[in-house]
Amino acid sequence: MMLVPVEVAWLCFLFPFAGALLAPVLARIHPRLRDYGALFFSFLGALCSLMLVPYLFHLDKLPLESAFVWLTVPIELNVGVLVDPLSIVMANVVAVISFVIMIYSLGYMKGDPCLTRWWMWMNLFIGSMLLLVLSNNLLFLFIGWKMVGLCSWGLIGFYYRDERKYWIGGPPPTKYTVPSHCGLKAMVVTSMGDVLMLGGILIMYSYAGTLNILELYETSAVWLPEMAKSSGLILLMIVMLLLGPIGKSAQFPLHEWLPEAMAGPGPVSALIHAATMVKSGVYMVARLLPIFFYGYWVSGCHEAIYFFLIVAWVGVITAFVAATQGMTALELKKALAFSTVSQIGYMFLALGVAGLTISSLEGGFTSGIYHLFNHALFKACLFLCAGSVIHTAHSIYMNDMGAIKKFMPFTWIFMLIAALSLMGVPPFPGFWSKDAILASSLATHYYLLFSLALITVVITAFYTTRFFAMTFHGAKSKNMKDLEKKGAHLGEVHITMVVACGALAVIIVTCGLIGLPLEHFFGHAFEHTLEHLHLPIVHAEHAMPHWIVPLMSVVSVVIGIVPAYLFYFSGKFDPKSIVENNSLLKMLHKFFWNRWYIDSFYFMFFVGGITKLYTFVPKYIESPLDKFFHKIIPSIPQKLYSGGRDTLASRYGQEEVKGAPAERQPVVGISLGYALLLVLLCIALYLIVMLIRGGL
Amino acid sequence: MMIPYILLQIVLMPAVAALIIITTRYITGRKAGFIAGGTLIYTTALLLIAATRIYHGEIIFEEYPFGPKINFNLLADGLSIAIAVIMNLCCVVLAFYSIHYVDHRIEKIYGDVDERTWRMYYTRFFFLFPFFATGFMGIAFSTNLLAMYFFMELLTIIPLYFIMAQFGYSDFIERYKVALMCLFWGVAGATVFFIGILLAYTHTGSFEIASLSTLAGDPIVTWVILLMLLGLFSKLAIFPLHVWMPWVHAEHPTCIAGLLAVYANIAVYVMVRVLILPLPDDFKVFSIPIMVLALITMVYGSLLAMAQNDVKRFAACSTISQISYSVIGIAALTVWSVEGGLFFFLCHIMGKGILFSTAGMLVYMTGVRDMRKMGGLAAKMPITAICWTMGAMSLSGLPPFSTFVAEWIMFTGIFMYGTHGPSIVLVIAIIAVTAVGLTIAYTFWSIKRIFFGPMSPELANNDKIRDPPVLMWLPILILGTISILIGLYPKFILDLFHLVLGGI
Repeated sequence: MMLVPVEVAWLCFLFPFAGALLAPVLARIHPRLRDYGALFFSFLGALCSLMLVPYLFHLDKLPLESAFVWLTVPIELNVGVLVDPLSIVMANVVAVISFVIMIYSLGYMKGDPCLTRWWMWMNLFIGSMLLLVLSNNLLFLFIGWKMVGLCSWGLIGFYYRDERKYWIGGPPPTKYTVPSHCGLKAMVVTSMGDVLMLGGILIMYSYAGTLNILELYETSAVWLPEMAKSSGLILLMIVMLLLGPIGKSAQFPLHEWLPEAMAGPGPVSALIHAATMVKSGVYMVARLLPIFFYGYWVSGCHEAIYFFLIVAWVGVITAFVAATQGMTALELKKALAFSTVSQIGYMFLALGVAGLTISSLEGGFTSGIYHLFNHALFKACLFLCAGSVIHTAHSIYMNDMGAIKKFMPFTWIFMLIAALSLMGVPPFPGFWSKDAILASSLATHYYLLFSLALITVVITAFYTTRFFAMTFHGAKSKNMKDLEKKGAHLGEVHITMVVACGALAVIIVTCGLIGLPLEHFFGHAFEHTLEHLHLPIVHAEHAMPHWIVPLMSVVSVVIGIVPAYLFYFSGKFDPKSIVENNSLLKMLHKFFWNRWYIDSFYFMFFVGGITKLYTFVPKYIESPLDKFFHKIIPSIPQKLYSGGRDTLASRYGQEEVKGAPAERQPVVGISLGYALLLVLLCIALYLIVMLIRGGL
Repeated sequence: MMIPYILLQIVLMPAVAALIIITTRYITGRKAGFIAGGTLIYTTALLLIAATRIYHGEIIFEEYPFGPKINFNLLADGLSIAIAVIMNLCCVVLAFYSIHYVDHRIEKIYGDVDERTWRMYYTRFFFLFPFFATGFMGIAFSTNLLAMYFFMELLTIIPLYFIMAQFGYSDFIERYKVALMCLFWGVAGATVFFIGILLAYTHTGSFEIASLSTLAGDPIVTWVILLMLLGLFSKLAIFPLHVWMPWVHAEHPTCIAGLLAVYANIAVYVMVRVLILPLPDDFKVFSIPIMVLALITMVYGSLLAMAQNDVKRFAACSTISQISYSVIGIAALTVWSVEGGLFFFLCHIMGKGILFSTAGMLVYMTGVRDMRKMGGLAAKMPITAICWTMGAMSLSGLPPFSTFVAEWIMFTGIFMYGTHGPSIVLVIAIIAVTAVGLTIAYTFWSIKRIFFGPMSPELANNDKIRDPPVLMWLPILILGTISILIGLYPKFILDLFHLVLGGI
């Protein structure tokens, strides 16, 4: 296979950036040129990423860098691209899925009056995301990181006029949320993580003296032990560094923004809030992982283990918490959003367990990234199909759908494939990677981690069957009947939308069929990278037979599917009445429906707290200060000047001055006050100066 | 290229233009704005030429003796030239922006007046305006403390006081009151600074900045620094000396608002030039107290900004908060943080120029200042929305704006000090970096409040609401683009800074 020069990696993000800049220009020429132009630039980005794939077959040539001097003083910084197996995999996931979603949005956004803005944001996002994953240094990675956050803000709030039809949330008594609010929430929550991550990076820089990723790896044997001399510093740095990924990837406790991010148009949810941007946290963790693995297992810095402990526990807690919320969701996209949060939790878990024992590195790392790869495919497909369904049903709620299968047979089959993959049914890709994650976590002997992960598999199967059945099967809802009566077009939507979903479905099936070899291919590539970094690769001795974990996983899936099938597919039991009649279930339902009350608590504590603070400050600090400086002080010289005839307040601004016109009276009075004050100030200072001089 | 008296030209040309405008006021009329703007473009070109020469290692020094102990010698090195270029750029942009804006102000304040009276008012503004440039350039290039003090006072008295008093917002009395308040704060701050100068003089016998370094180690130096700092703090609006800022920003015409941010923030340059460069060791005692004060101001300003409903007061409170970023950087006294802090100053004035001027566009087109009455304006004023978003991004330090690079470098220095120095600094650094999150919160919240959501029926039914004339938004977009370009290629300015500050 022919290898392209490494500089091609630059083009991956430069093309989409160019597309974003050119969109308004092309729009002037012809709207269609703008649409296809935008598509073309994202295609070029995808093409360049694909051209890097052959490197995966020539691992001995990796890692490669191409950089130029960006700054020499006060910080020396060579910025550029880093091509290694991780960045190649990430770049292809991002670029290829982005391109498919761009095709989809050609149909989905058809006729929107703000298309120029749409294409600009989308291409800017693709470029920034590729910059993030291809950058060879943490500064440009962070630039990409901030820019994808900005694009996410712009696209969640795309329907900035907040029309009623774009509200999410509800139905009453649950409150509705408007898109512009959702965008702001996402921006603020993730930014809080971002700025702290910046702090973490800078603490790292202050010891490592470099931001280049490869140099950080190489020198970590020196600077991490140096850092370990100040107790607690490594832990502080780890917490700060991880807050960025936790925020961006919507992990507990910063996960509450993602469900609201569903206010954006369908393709945005698929691209940014399922397939790519929310994975950047996983990518960041994977990037930092070798440093701390080396630090703990080779250099013996004890605090480095917290990196893995935090990542694993955050991951598994998130996976469980979000999955439970997914069981009660009524909005189709929100159910998928909870599922995304939960699945990213699995990836975190995998990367966390990678460092918990010396032998789990390769398994944990590979399964985490492999799950990222698979999840990007099937979740994008799920979201795109959901977009089509919502388009047809004219409602975001699943109980307004039902029996859509016969109207949208293609979407049904595509979504089925993706849903089976999400549940982890063999031989779909989700099965392989989830199985690998379960196996790695079992191998660490942290049984609580493993059991929570396994329980989550059950819940995942339940909620997936639930949303799938509620959408496509069961009885026709009132809304669907009304639409049918009105003669609305019920059926597949735009051809580009079907094609895009179909393309993803085909890729999913293919990846599933070659699942095991693909996993080994990934494993081989990552093992090569990790070995290159002098990390000890120890292969675990399996105490248990190989088939145990897959069997447990499949059994869990079946346990999840059966009740959901009975409730929602066959309609033999009515889930509503069961929940109503059992007080425990009712309480649990309420608890999950209210998202464990975490969101309400945050709102009360943070938004309420800041609101209290910012009403307190002007009232009790600013206004007394203002009074002191602008009322009391100026009135002192005035009072002296007028011989103290009057009270302070009544004197201010009411001095009569001879010879000045009536309307200027107060002004002259005040200026005299100020002038006198200035003289007093000078005298006072002069005295102080004399005192100092005298005293010295 | 050798241009004679290049620095003198840069300082004096705006004043000359001002004199031409005032003497020919009834002839120039509407062209006054272009004369002022054109002159400033010329001086910017001169500055760029000088900057290229300095970049290649030259130092430009011109001697203009004035009397015993006093001179108006001008020195352009890497530090002063970089600062001067950006400040002058802001002046250029706002001069062009003012062309329409002042027209609007005159109409609002003085109503329909005959052509002659109108010309008188209009040219009066552009007579006062160029003195901003003279004052800023004077402060940047002065080598003599008295000259520097002179330019500080010049700024306060001529452009700031008179423009506010003549073209301000409220009724006549309120306007003069606030203008006087501003004048008082400006003069008082400068006076305290001046007394510091005098105290230093009693020991050095010279008013030259360079001679201040002979004070190093002398016990008197603490008092000199303290007095000068006190003066500078009142300019920088450091808590609790910030109370003038919201008043003043709410009052003056929006077209000079950006320059008011420069006026306040330039004190950080003075701080570096007069205190840190000559007296680095004696300044160390003040480092942590200043950082704490700056941190308080940072958070306090952000909270104050959140509480505002008036767009102009909102921007003012954000200035209070933002100036403290550069102060905290400079106070940390590492080469990264000082360079970053000064760079932040430049980025902040560009960002604030954008944000304030956009606030002006809103007031100009809608006549509304209360954010609660706005909402959904992006539909009618898309370009204004873009400008405001650019300003918000710039203030929040989002890439690709230069503020991002500045914050990055500055915080590198602060964290460097924190991890290798006292642990209190690390705590300060972490709180400070978290405070950036507050900035993001209030700036993006303001976007939502002004531009997103449903439009009030009043605004929706007003057909006159649309984007302002091109001469208003184009300069702002250009300023935004320049900020982005500097963000993408910060090397030029940072290299210039490093020529002078590299030794810290």
